Amino acid sequence: MRCDSTRFFAAFLLTPLTAFLAAPAVAAPNASRVAAQVDRLLGEEVYSGSTQLAPVCDDETFVRRVWLDIVGDLPTPEHVTAFLLDTHPEKRARLVSDLLESAQYGQNWARYWRDVILYRRIEDRAVLVSNPLVVKLTEQLNTGAGWDEIASGFITATGDVREDGATAIFMAQDGQTEEATAEVSRVFLGIQIQCAQCHDHPWDRWQREQFHELAAFFPRVGVRPLQTPTRRSYQVVVNDRPEFRNRGNSNNANRRGSPEHYMPNLDNPDKPGKKTRPRFFLTGAELSFGTPDADRRGRLAEWLTDTPWFATAMVNRMWSELVGEGFYEPIDDLGPDREPTAPQAVERLSEAFADSGYDVKWLFRTICATEAYQRESRPRRGPEETPMTANVPQRLRGDQLFNALLTALGIDEAATRGFADRNASGYRGQATPRLIFNAAFGYDPSVQRETVSASIPQALAMMNTPRINYAVSSNRRSMLGRLLSSVREDSLVVDELYLRCLSREPTGDERAHALAYVESVGKRNEAFEDYLWALLNSAEFVHRK
Amino acid sequence: MLQHQINVTTHRGSVFQRRDFLRNVGAAAAAGGLLSWTDRISLASSELKRRHKACILLWMAGGPSQFETFSPKPGHANGGDTKAISTSVPGIQIADRLPEVAKVMGDVAIIRSMTSKEGSHPRASYYMHHGYLPMGGVKFPTLGSNVAHQIGDASSELPSFVRVGGRGQNAGNAGFLGVDHDPLVLQSASRPPQNTRPMTGADRYRRRLGLLDSMQGEFARSGGADVVADHRKLVEASSEMILSPRMETFDIKREPSSVRSAYGEGGFADGCLLARRLVEAGVTFVEVTSGGWDTHQDNGERTQANCDQIDRPMAALIRDLKSRGLLDDTLVVWMGEFGRTPKINGRGGRDHYPRAFNVALAGCGVRGGQVIGKTDAAGAKVIERPVSPKDLYRSIYTALGIDPDHENTSLIGRPIKLVDEGSAVDELFG
Repeated sequence: MRCDSTRFFAAFLLTPLTAFLAAPAVAAPNASRVAAQVDRLLGEEVYSGSTQLAPVCDDETFVRRVWLDIVGDLPTPEHVTAFLLDTHPEKRARLVSDLLESAQYGQNWARYWRDVILYRRIEDRAVLVSNPLVVKLTEQLNTGAGWDEIASGFITATGDVREDGATAIFMAQDGQTEEATAEVSRVFLGIQIQCAQCHDHPWDRWQREQFHELAAFFPRVGVRPLQTPTRRSYQVVVNDRPEFRNRGNSNNANRRGSPEHYMPNLDNPDKPGKKTRPRFFLTGAELSFGTPDADRRGRLAEWLTDTPWFATAMVNRMWSELVGEGFYEPIDDLGPDREPTAPQAVERLSEAFADSGYDVKWLFRTICATEAYQRESRPRRGPEETPMTANVPQRLRGDQLFNALLTALGIDEAATRGFADRNASGYRGQATPRLIFNAAFGYDPSVQRETVSASIPQALAMMNTPRINYAVSSNRRSMLGRLLSSVREDSLVVDELYLRCLSREPTGDERAHALAYVESVGKRNEAFEDYLWALLNSAEFVHRK
Repeated sequence: MLQHQINVTTHRGSVFQRRDFLRNVGAAAAAGGLLSWTDRISLASSELKRRHKACILLWMAGGPSQFETFSPKPGHANGGDTKAISTSVPGIQIADRLPEVAKVMGDVAIIRSMTSKEGSHPRASYYMHHGYLPMGGVKFPTLGSNVAHQIGDASSELPSFVRVGGRGQNAGNAGFLGVDHDPLVLQSASRPPQNTRPMTGADRYRRRLGLLDSMQGEFARSGGADVVADHRKLVEASSEMILSPRMETFDIKREPSSVRSAYGEGGFADGCLLARRLVEAGVTFVEVTSGGWDTHQDNGERTQANCDQIDRPMAALIRDLKSRGLLDDTLVVWMGEFGRTPKINGRGGRDHYPRAFNVALAGCGVRGGQVIGKTDAAGAKVIERPVSPKDLYRSIYTALGIDPDHENTSLIGRPIKLVDEGSAVDELFG
C-alpha cells in the first residue's frame, strides 16, 4: 500500500494541469438515463420494425443472472425468495447496487482479470503473482478505484511480485519488453498493435515503427529473481543507468532492463537495429531519449487512460460479459479500422463511463439497467441474425462454478480439499482446491465464447469426483442429509433442491417428474441423491441464462 | 453402377454410409451380376482398410527451425554450427540433432519448400491447424476434427480425436462440426483421463444418466437449446468412454518396458507412445504437441534440447507403427506454424520465418526416403517446388482417403470445402 500512495502522488504530479481543468466537476452521469439512451440507440442502429426482441426476463432468471454476473455466486434460496417477494418498483436496480457493495464483487472480478492476464502468460512461474493480483484488485474494485487508476497501477508497477499484484503483466510476460507492450495495449486499449511487430499490415493502419515506439516506453523494465534464505520470488526492476554505448537490439533479452529500445532490422538481424523514441501511436505524444523509466511509464499511463479507446475497451469487454456479445468482436480487437455493432451506442456508453471517472461500479449499474441486459436468453445468434436481441447463456467460469457448487451443496470453502484432482496441472505450488478447480474448468476470458467448448474431462470431473459425490450423498453432515431428515414432504424437497441449484422453483411438470422418479426408485434417500446429482450435472446448472 | 457406388462411398464421410457400403456392394453385385467373389472380398478389404486409416500430428509449437532439423546448411553462415549427417537413405542428409530420425529416413518424406506469408504465432498456428486463415463468422474445424468427422468410427466408445499436452495457440476445435468432433484434450500422456470411475454401481450410474437426460427440457425451452444439446452429447460421450473396457488404452504403463524404453523418456515420448496405443485401438486422429520451439534467443542450445526430446520418440513411433503393420494406414505428420529466419540474430536466436520451412510425413502411402523442394544456399527462399499450406492440406486429406473437395455446410448454410485451393503434392505418393 505504501508503494501505491507514492505512485499515486507521482502520477498526480505528472498530470498536466489541463487534465484537472477538463475533469468533470459534476457527479457521474445518471446510470438509468444512460442505460435508456443506449437502449434507444440500439433500437435506432440495430433493430428494425420486424426485429423480434426477447422479452424482459422474469425475476427468478434475473436474480440468478445478476448474482453470477456481479458476485460470481448463486443466490441462496432465501435470497431468491426475498427478491421475489420484494414489491419495490426499483428492486432490480437496488439488488445490483447491493451486490456491488458486497466484498464478493471485487473478488469475483479480480479473479476475472487474473485470468485475462495470466492465461496469456509465457512462463508458468508467473502464477506466483496470481494471489497478490487477486488481493490487490479485489480491494481496488471494492473501494471503487477508477479504472484509470487501476490501469496506471499495472502500467507503472515495480517491486516484488508476491507483494504487489499490479506487477502481473510484466511478470506474466517474463519482463520481455515487446510482449509486455503488446499486452498493455491489448488489455487496456483493446488494440492488437503487436500484429505490426514484425511487418506493416496492409489492412491495418498501425505501422511496425509505431509498435516499437510504444515498446520504447518499457525498455528499462526488467524482471529479476529475488532470493533470500527464506523466500523465492521475482521482482519488477527498473534500470535507469545511462547508455554508454550503442547496445543494439538485444531488447532487454536478459530481462534486466536496457536504456533504450531498438527496432530490430529484419533484413539484417546482426545489425543493432533502429534506436526508437517513446511515442504514443494514438496521439503522437512523445518523449526524448534518456527519459527515466518513471516518466516513461507515468506519462504513458496518463496518455493511454485519456484516450477514448481506453474507455471503449472496458465498456466493450464488460458489455460482452454481461449481455453476451460485444460491440466489437473479439472483445480485445478494437480500433479505428474495426466496425462495431451500434457505433453510437458504444460511443455514448464509453463517453459516459469516462465522465463517471472510469467508475467500474457505475458501468455495472448502467449495463445491468439496460433492456439489452435484462432480456431473456436465446441461443447464440448466427452471423446473419440481428445482434443483441436477447441475452445469451454463458458458461460459468471456473471460479463461478466452484462457488456455485459450494453454495448449492452448503459447503464451506475451508472444507474443500479433494474437490479437484490434486495432481492436475495448473498453479504449481499454490494448489488450493479453488485454483486447481479453476485450472480444470477455467478458460481465457478474452477468447470468443463460442470457441470455448466444455470438455470430456470437465464432464467427468462434475460427474465422478469423489468429493463432489460425497457432498451429494445424504449423510448426516451433508446438505441433502439434513434436508431429508428435517423435511418429510417430498415435493418440498424437490422445490428446495431446484431453488438451491437453479435458483428457481420447478415447473409443475418438473415437480411431477421428480416425484415420479422418487416413487419409481423406492428408496427416498437414494432417489434424491440421484436427483441432486442430475441437477448439478445439468446444462442449466453450469450456465447462467 | 459399381463405379457410382464407390464414388458415393468415398465422397461421403459418415460411418453409417460406410457401413452400408458392403451391403450396397452386395446389392450392386446381385443386381448387375458383375462381381465375382474375389472382387467382393478385395473391395471389402480395401474398404475396411480405409476405415482404419488414422493420422498422428506431431505439432512443434512455436515454429521449429528448419536449419536445425530437416534442412541443415553447413558451410553457410546461416547454418550456424549445425552439421549435416547422412541418413539411411543415400543422398539425403538432415541435421545432426536428429540421429534417430535419420535411421528411419526410408519411411519419411521431407518437404523443404513449405512457404507461406503468415509470420505471427496466432495466425500461422491457426492456418497450419485448419488449412484456412481465421475469418470472421466462420468457425472452421481444425484438421483433427475434420478427419474425425470424415473417417472416424462414430460407434467407438473412444473419442475419434485426442489431443495430448501443450497449450498450443489457436489449435482450434470442431468449429461448426459441433462438439461431437471436438478433441479429448489430455494435459499429459502419462496420466490417463481422471475421474473415470463412477462413484456408484454401473446400474445406478446408468439410471442417473437416464434421469439427467430426461430433465433438461425446461432450460432447452428457455433459451438454452444449443447448450443443452451440446451438453447432452458431451455427457453421452464421456459416459460411453468410461463405461468401456477400452479405457485401458489410455494407460501407457501397460506397455512392456522394452517398448517404453524404445520411445525414451519425456512428455513427448509418452505422447508418441500413447498415440500409437490409441491408433491401434481405433482412434482416428491424435495430436501430440512439443513446445519450446520459439527460439528467438539461444537457438542452437534450445533446438538441441528440443530435438533431444523428439528425436528418439518420433523414430520409435515410426518403427513401432511399421512393425505392427499400422504404418501403411497411419499418416504421421511433423510440423509447426512456420520456420525460422536464415540469419541468426544478435541474441543467438532465429526469428519467425514463414517463407521457407519444413514438414515431414510418413506412412499411409507416402513414399519415404525422398526430399521434395529446395531452398537456395542461404536457406532464404524456395527455389524448387514451392508447397503452400493448402497444398499440404490437400495432400494430407488425399493420403487419408478423404476427398479434399468435400463440402461441409457451415452454421449459416454456406458450403465450405475441406480445402479451397491448391493441389496435392503428387510426388509424395509416387
